[in-house]
Amino acid sequence: MRVRLQNDIERLKKRVVALGTLVEERVRLAVKAIECRDAALAETVIAGDMEIDDLEVDLEEECLKILALHQPVAYDLRYIVAVLKMNNDLERIGDLAVNIAQRTQIISRHPEIQVPFDYFTMAQSAQEMLKKSLDSLVNQDLNLAYEVCAQDDDVDFMKSAMQTLFGTQVRKTPDQVEPLVDLFLVSRHLERIADHATNIAEDVIYMISGQIHRHRGDDFD
Amino acid sequence: MAKRHRLLWQLYPSYLIIIIASMAAMTWYAARVLTEHSRVKALSELKAQAYLVEKIVGPRLTDSYSPPLDELLKNLAPKTSSRITLLSPTGTVIADSHEDPVRMVNHALRPEIKEAGHGRVGSSTRYSYTLNAELTYLALPIMREGRIVGIVRIAEPVSKLTASLMPIYREFLAAGFVIVLLAAAFSLYLAHRINKPIAEMQRGAARFAAGDLSYRLELSPSEEFRALARAMNSMASQLHSRIHTVTQQRNELEAVLTGMIEAVIVVDTAERILRTNRAAEALFQIRHNNVKNRSVQEAIRNTDVNRFVADALASENPIERDIVVVGDSDIFLQAHGARLRDAQGNSIGALVVLNDVTRLKALQKIRRDFVANVSHELKTPITSIKGFLETLEEGAIDDPVNARHFLTIIMRHTDRLISIIEDLLSLSRIEQDTEKGGIVLEEVPIRDVFDSVDKEVRSRAKHHGITLDYEVDDSIVARINPLLLEQAIVNLVDNALKYSEPDSTVQIVSQRNGSEILISVKDRGSGIPKEHLARIFERFYRVDKARSRKVGGTGLGLAIVKHIANAHGGRVEVESSPGKGSTFSIHLPAA
Repeated sequence: MRVRLQNDIERLKKRVVALGTLVEERVRLAVKAIECRDAALAETVIAGDMEIDDLEVDLEEECLKILALHQPVAYDLRYIVAVLKMNNDLERIGDLAVNIAQRTQIISRHPEIQVPFDYFTMAQSAQEMLKKSLDSLVNQDLNLAYEVCAQDDDVDFMKSAMQTLFGTQVRKTPDQVEPLVDLFLVSRHLERIADHATNIAEDVIYMISGQIHRHRGDDFD
Repeated sequence: MAKRHRLLWQLYPSYLIIIIASMAAMTWYAARVLTEHSRVKALSELKAQAYLVEKIVGPRLTDSYSPPLDELLKNLAPKTSSRITLLSPTGTVIADSHEDPVRMVNHALRPEIKEAGHGRVGSSTRYSYTLNAELTYLALPIMREGRIVGIVRIAEPVSKLTASLMPIYREFLAAGFVIVLLAAAFSLYLAHRINKPIAEMQRGAARFAAGDLSYRLELSPSEEFRALARAMNSMASQLHSRIHTVTQQRNELEAVLTGMIEAVIVVDTAERILRTNRAAEALFQIRHNNVKNRSVQEAIRNTDVNRFVADALASENPIERDIVVVGDSDIFLQAHGARLRDAQGNSIGALVVLNDVTRLKALQKIRRDFVANVSHELKTPITSIKGFLETLEEGAIDDPVNARHFLTIIMRHTDRLISIIEDLLSLSRIEQDTEKGGIVLEEVPIRDVFDSVDKEVRSRAKHHGITLDYEVDDSIVARINPLLLEQAIVNLVDNALKYSEPDSTVQIVSQRNGSEILISVKDRGSGIPKEHLARIFERFYRVDKARSRKVGGTGLGLAIVKHIANAHGGRVEVESSPGKGSTFSIHLPAA
């Protein structure tokens, strides 16, 4: 029985990492699409969301099956609960990638505008956080997970800087409000991706140490 | 589980038991024989004494108690250690050497007397309550004319006999003890001798088991052990050579895998990674020790690769697929996968070989784009020329104002065609010269090159309203071809002028940077979007097709710069951020 539980958890691990990988790739594609203003690439990201949704449902059912069948305790229980939660976060990140892709499609219809603010750094930070949170899950690395939580502040800071800049830019060029709003929304999506990556890292911390790391120190919105 | 004893301690106690038991049996038997022998001897002595007494008593024998005889016997007694009794045939005591015959009962029922009563010599050993000791009795009938007239009985204490045997027994024991000790020592030695080759063999076998296969067992003198040792030695040497072969084959395989440019991944049926080679580790930025026995999903976070591995495991036949790894720059992989089977034909995993074809793809794309671009670049002016010529032919030639205007346009497009063809020619000349090593390099101060560049571009800069800012160290001398390098720098400066706003500055800097000489041209123009940076040195590659044609240029300038840098053994790099400007730099090896 114990061996079967271990096998099931092993399989669960593979599936959650596979979902994570897929989501990570989608985010990368979405960011690439907006960098290159590539509407076709954005379209593939949007079309691929179904796949992530299906994987999410499968994973959730798998978790519930293990819970009902084996009634695991201690680490195993924490593992499955954490997987259930990060499953949600991953699916949301997938949706945010789709949102970025949709912004890309709108932006690519407008003539290119020069944004003085460098939001590619922000995209890179968010992607790095997502990668690190998945790495911490794969390697069960507590330190890496804490690193992700710390990095979230940077992204939040970048976003508020972006907000200020957005204000000035709109006042300066009121005729470009629409593409500017879209660009600003992209930065908001990226910030949300970073938040979900932080959630995943917190779930990893809970999984490993059994401590709930949420709502400590800084407030996460 | 029984307690394990050393062979020595199994052999030796049995030896000891055998020695002690046989020694004890021998001693017991010898003692018995000795006792019997001395008893017989004692009896014959008693018999001799009895005859003597008979002779001494002789005719004085009476039928009943006789004081003179008694007196005689009592006198004899101190001379012999024995007790002498004289009896009548009916058992009445006539005389006795130690007791008073009157007080003694009739002895007819005693076994020795009974025997003597029948005319035979009787003997018996029993406890005498009269003397309180174990005694041996011997009775001799006294015959006169065939009739028993009396009986002589001699008694002697057994203790006398035993006492005489005691020292002999003691000697026996002492000798036996010494012999047992000697034999025990000798058998210990023997047991050791038997044990020694076995122990030696055991040590050797233990060394073999520990992997020391170059060790050889000593050949012991005994035939069986010698054969055994020989067999074990040959087993060890065979094992040694086989392990050597296996290790060598494994090392060869390892070397082949490591040396392969293709990434190789081997997984088991549960998609766990068994092996990766160096190329795979470099491709996916993994370390074999970290990913061994991990699932491929955890180790290689790429959905397409993961799916390919799963498909390779599921498919009967080898499969093939193109995979794109999306990243800062995409990696194109050609994947081959096949199931692995053991000797019984059962699936034991899958082998995946990934061939990185990114460079090949890029080259194909460059070639395709080049052909398309060159045709386009050549066709545009020719179409214009043809169009205007046709207009002229259809009558415009008679309208002097327009005709002159058209001819100017035709001239401009012809110039453009010529400059494109000249650039192409100079490109191929540089390429050919580089291949043949025909580029003449001489040591020239960079300052001189900058001076010629300035002469060439000053008027154009003034025309654009742009300041040129030179920054050069006089001491920098490089091995260059001045004409080519001048052309390269002029191309870069021309580009900078084209894409800069009026009233801005273009910086031209030369500096020594470690083992390199760096020549950079920096503008504050519109910059180049990131996705184009990798390709702007390709022939006819245009970032913004409409705009760059408007500002002029053949589309070959940067390609020429790149080839000139290569011809000098250097390279060219670009840094740019949109809105902030670009920096092109030529890196030359220091003279």
